[in-house]
Amino acid sequence: MINTKHRIEFDSEKCVGCQMCYKSCFVDVIRWDSEKKQPIFKYVEDCEHCFYCQSVCAKEAITVIPDYSSEHLLQSFPEYA
Amino acid sequence: MREINKVNCDVLIIGGGVGGLACALDLKEKQPEADVLVVEKNFAGYSGKANRGGGVLQYFELDRITPEEFVGFHATQIGAFLGDQELMMRYVATNHEMLDKLVAWGVNVPKKEDGTYHVMPTGPFTSMICVDLDITLRMRRRAQKLGIRFMDKTAMADILTKDGRAVGATAFSVLDGSFYAISAAQVVLATGSQNYRIGSMWSSGRGDGIAAAYRAGAQMRNAEFGNFAQLVRVKSHNEIVFGENFMYNAKGEHITKNFTDHRETDINSTAIREWYYQMKNGNGPVHLDFGPPPPQAEGGGGPNMERMWNRPYGVKFRKLNDESGNTVDRDLEVCPMFIGEQSPIKVDHGMRTTVDGLYAIGDCSYCGSALAGAVPAPPGRNRGSGILNAVFAALQCAASLSEAYTGKNTAEVCMEAAEKSAEELYKPMERTGGAKATDVVAIVQKAMAPVEQSIIMTEERMAKGVKLVEEAKELAKTLCADDWHALLNCREAEAAVLSAEMHYKASAVRKESRGWFMREDYPQMDNKNWLKWVIVQKGENGMEISTEDVPIDKWPVKPQDI
Repeated sequence: MINTKHRIEFDSEKCVGCQMCYKSCFVDVIRWDSEKKQPIFKYVEDCEHCFYCQSVCAKEAITVIPDYSSEHLLQSFPEYA
Repeated sequence: MREINKVNCDVLIIGGGVGGLACALDLKEKQPEADVLVVEKNFAGYSGKANRGGGVLQYFELDRITPEEFVGFHATQIGAFLGDQELMMRYVATNHEMLDKLVAWGVNVPKKEDGTYHVMPTGPFTSMICVDLDITLRMRRRAQKLGIRFMDKTAMADILTKDGRAVGATAFSVLDGSFYAISAAQVVLATGSQNYRIGSMWSSGRGDGIAAAYRAGAQMRNAEFGNFAQLVRVKSHNEIVFGENFMYNAKGEHITKNFTDHRETDINSTAIREWYYQMKNGNGPVHLDFGPPPPQAEGGGGPNMERMWNRPYGVKFRKLNDESGNTVDRDLEVCPMFIGEQSPIKVDHGMRTTVDGLYAIGDCSYCGSALAGAVPAPPGRNRGSGILNAVFAALQCAASLSEAYTGKNTAEVCMEAAEKSAEELYKPMERTGGAKATDVVAIVQKAMAPVEQSIIMTEERMAKGVKLVEEAKELAKTLCADDWHALLNCREAEAAVLSAEMHYKASAVRKESRGWFMREDYPQMDNKNWLKWVIVQKGENGMEISTEDVPIDKWPVKPQDI
C-alpha cells in the first residue's frame, strides 16, 4: 500500500528504549532517536499496518491505528477501487 | 566525489530473511573459516515475510506418501508439467532434514508429547507445521554466535561484475547515505519477490534484487507467473486462506462449484476468475459462508485455521490484526487482492544464476528455479512452501558455495564499477524536481492490480497494462528523492516498473493457459507448442524475450497428449 494514513500512537512514558519496534519495522517507517533513546515514527505514510511493532513491544507503548479507507485494492469495480 | 567505503568478505549474502539466514548458517557450519557477511536494508532477523505470515512449514508424511507420489500429484495438478521434477523430488525428500536444521538453529518447531512434530493435514498429499513468528530472530541469534557478520539498514544498489562474473556489490546506508563497495568471491541474492506494494504483509517484497540481477545480465524464467492474488475481506484486507472453497454470490449460489468439483489445495486463478465473472455479470458481492463446513474441510482451512495459531507470538500478532479488522469488516464479503510474488531469477539446482559467482535463493528465484511450475510462488498453491523453499534453496546454495570456496577473498573491489553504480544511484538526490517514488508505483499498481488485466488476461486488456507500464517507465526517469529513505523507495519503484514490464512481455509470448496462468483468448493448455519456459534477459537494445524447451523427456511425469 502507498500513501496510507495509518496512525501510530506512542506512549513515551512506557518506553524503556529496547529498540525492538525500530528493528521490527520491515519497511523503514520507524527510526531511532539515539539521544532520547526512543523511536521516531518518521515515515508513517509508508506504514503497512502489519502490527509487528505493536506485537513486539513488551511495554505496550505502541498502538497502531489503521485507516483502512486509505488502502486501495484497485479493482475495476467502484466498491473495490 | 562521494566517499566509497570498501568492505571485504568471502561470501556476501544480500537479504536477512529466512533464506539469507539459512544460507549463511549452513555455509558457516560447512566452512567455519569463511567470512560471511549479510547485508540487509532493514534488520536481518526481523525483515522478510517469514515472521509476518502464517509461520507455516510444509510437511510431507514420508511414511505415508513417497516423493515420487507427490511429484506426480504436483506435476499434474499444480505445476502443469512446467515444474522441474528432479528438483521437486529433492525438495520433498529433504523435508525432514530441513526441519531438523531449523531445530538445530534454535527454531521452535512444535512437537507433541510423544516427540513427533505437531502436524496438521491439509490434503491427501500435504500437511503443515506451524512455527511461532520468531523463527528468523532465533536464526539470527544463532548466526551471530557463529561469527556471521551483519550490516543492517544497508540497501544493496548493484551487483558488481568483472569480465561477466559477480565480484561483489554496492550498497548504501538508508540512515546516512554512506556508500559501500563490497568485494566478495561469491554473491547470494536472498532479496524476496516483487509484490508491487499492494498487499500489506507482502509489502517487503519489492523486487530490488530481481532488478539488480537483471541489470547484471542474469536471465529470468517464468516472469509471467508473478501474478498471485488472494481473497481478502474487503475493508481490512485480511486474507482468508482456503476461502475459495466457500464462495457464494448475492443470489446465495455456491459459486465454488462453478470452477471445481473438489476441495482445492489452495487458491487458484479459477477462483479469481469466478469472482470477476460474478461481479461483471451483476451477481456480486461475493461472500464466504463457512458453515456448516463440508466434510472435506476436516482438518483444513476456514474456521479450522484458528487451531494453527496456537502459538504465543503468533496469537498476539493475529489477535491485533483480527480485532482491528473486525472494526471495519462486519461480514465475510471478499474480493481479490493482487499480490504478485514474481520470483523469476533463473537458477540451476545449485541456485547458480546465469551470471558466474551470483546465486539467488528463496522468494527472488522460486519461479526462476522452476520448482513451482506453472504457478506464482510462494505459496505456489502449496501453503507452507515459501519458508521451506527458502530453506531448501539455501541448503542447495550453501553446498554450491562451500564447493566453490577457496579461502580468503583478497580481490580488490572494482572502483570504476563502484563509482558508476554510485553515480546512477544518487541521481534522484541530485534532481530538484520530478516524480516521487509513490507516483511511479501508483501507476504500476494500476497496471498490475486489476485482475482482468494481470490474471484473466486477453491481448486487449494486457495492452492497458502495458500502456501504464510505459507511462511509469517514462516517469521513473524523473524520480527524485530528498533523503535516503526516499532514495530507497526510488530504487524500489524502478524495480516495480521492471517487474511489471517483464510480466507483460513474458505473458504476451505465452499464447496458452497453463496452471495459474490464464489467457482468456487462449484458454487451452497447449502441450504440443508450449512445454516451454519464457526467458527474459537484458539485451543491448532493451528487454529480450526467448523460450527454452522444458526437458519433459527426462522427467517421470509427462502429459498424455504428447
